[in-house]
Amino acid sequence: MKYWRETLAVAQRILIELLRRRRSLVFWTIFPVSILLINGFIVAERAQLSMAEAFEYAAPSTLVGAALFFSCLGGSVATVVAEREQQTLKRLFISPLSGTSYFLGIFVAHTCIGIGQTLLVYTIAAFWGAKFQGSILLGGVIILLSIISYVGVGFVLGTQFARRTEDVNALVAAFGVPLLILGGAFVPSFVFPKTLLSIAKFNPVYHMVKALSGVSDEGKKFADIELHFWFLYVFAILMVVAGWLSYRRMLSVERRL
Amino acid sequence: MLHIKRLSKSFGQRQVLNDLTLHVRPGEIYGLLGPNGAGKTTTINIICNLVKEDRGEITINKQPVSEASKSLIGVAPQENLLYKSLSCAENLDFFARIYGLSKQQRWEQVQVCLEAVNLVDRAKSPVETLSGGMKRRLNIAVALVHQPKLVILDEPTTGLDIEARYEIWELIRNLKKQGITVLLTTHLLDEAERLCDKIGIIKDGRIVVEGSLSVLRELIPAQEVVVVQTRDEEGAIARASQLGFTHRRYGNDLAFWLPKPLELKEIIACFDGIAVDAIARSPVRLEHIYVEVTQG
Repeated sequence: MKYWRETLAVAQRILIELLRRRRSLVFWTIFPVSILLINGFIVAERAQLSMAEAFEYAAPSTLVGAALFFSCLGGSVATVVAEREQQTLKRLFISPLSGTSYFLGIFVAHTCIGIGQTLLVYTIAAFWGAKFQGSILLGGVIILLSIISYVGVGFVLGTQFARRTEDVNALVAAFGVPLLILGGAFVPSFVFPKTLLSIAKFNPVYHMVKALSGVSDEGKKFADIELHFWFLYVFAILMVVAGWLSYRRMLSVERRL
Repeated sequence: MLHIKRLSKSFGQRQVLNDLTLHVRPGEIYGLLGPNGAGKTTTINIICNLVKEDRGEITINKQPVSEASKSLIGVAPQENLLYKSLSCAENLDFFARIYGLSKQQRWEQVQVCLEAVNLVDRAKSPVETLSGGMKRRLNIAVALVHQPKLVILDEPTTGLDIEARYEIWELIRNLKKQGITVLLTTHLLDEAERLCDKIGIIKDGRIVVEGSLSVLRELIPAQEVVVVQTRDEEGAIARASQLGFTHRRYGNDLAFWLPKPLELKEIIACFDGIAVDAIARSPVRLEHIYVEVTQG
């Protein structure tokens, strides 16, 4: 009960702060919509697909490869760094708030944002006639695992490498953009040269995109995307553990008034 | 309420607390004073269970310091640790929630705290729109929202203008009226003098003197302190020495301790023949005791 109450308090606070910064909220909306439209129109034109097929193809990579990456990874880095800069972390250390609740609170808040972006991306894709071809439940689990992975990585980066707000952009750009490109978020992975493709197979974004595209666009079943799913599953667990350890490390360094 | 017995803490080779002992009674305002680096913040960190002591005992309301004892304490750190885009009421509500208050309790406590710090009319204002004094008052309100037994105020008026300072002082006096125990750290000796029932001066990690202001005054064998402005300081010191006055320097001021109260004309007569430009007299103040204890 204590954890649940604290988790909700932290999540609600993050969401209220986001709602207060209306401009950010508008930008978080513009970003996936614009990427989806650009991807959709490019694919329709270059691959000679119908708009419905093009948006079915573009929606998963736009969502997990771009939208969730920036909102969940960039967002959780920004949350931790902002708490550090405002020094509100100190106030949280003084309070009985547990580290687990804090982590879960950030995760729940970003899950809400991720769900919002999922609805947005798929609503717009549906407007062009796209359909979710496979199991919605399996698709939901893949999206959830992607969010967990991103929040975990965000925690590691935010607690270990980003001291100030200015660091966030540099970090996300340095780690993120190559991973996104190599993950097939912007350029389809089938155009990658062989060497790059073998490197991409170690990239979690590649597996997120492949797993969700398989289910959402191609209507594949679990058995067909098993390899991507398990890679993502293990990565998500590793990132939760790494995020948690990073948070504990930060606690031991910063638990001072 | 707060009992600290022989508390010691080292960071590497540096011993920060060295057998520190202090006792704060319920309903008391205890002023913890000392120069920078004396160990005040480390003491607070240990009370808040942020740092583990090497040795010693510490109890709050008869409970040893632990995660559970965090609910007994309200801390207003020196910086305003608030969520800037949230309103005053939302900040209070968030922390009340973290401390486990029910929805009804939260609603009541938010109102009570806003009233206590005179911010009712700014309840819905985002923190970033508040003045420095208002932010500081809200910072204290956050420390009070879960109705702690002990409130720790770390330099609550540093950097504030005099009006904001008066408001915070009034707020602290009101806490005492409500029976809340306050541990106050400050560098403003005037503030400690006005507010504290008991004062402890910490130096090199231990309390070197402790007591009410009247008890501390007994540490200086003087009834009055006289500050003399003169171009002939050596002459004034020599004369004072003949008369049995102890001389001290408080910053640039040359001062003398008078062992018994004298009329102004008697004081002037003491320095007869010495070019004195001005004489100012004052009772023995905390500043004098503090300098004596920390620099003596």
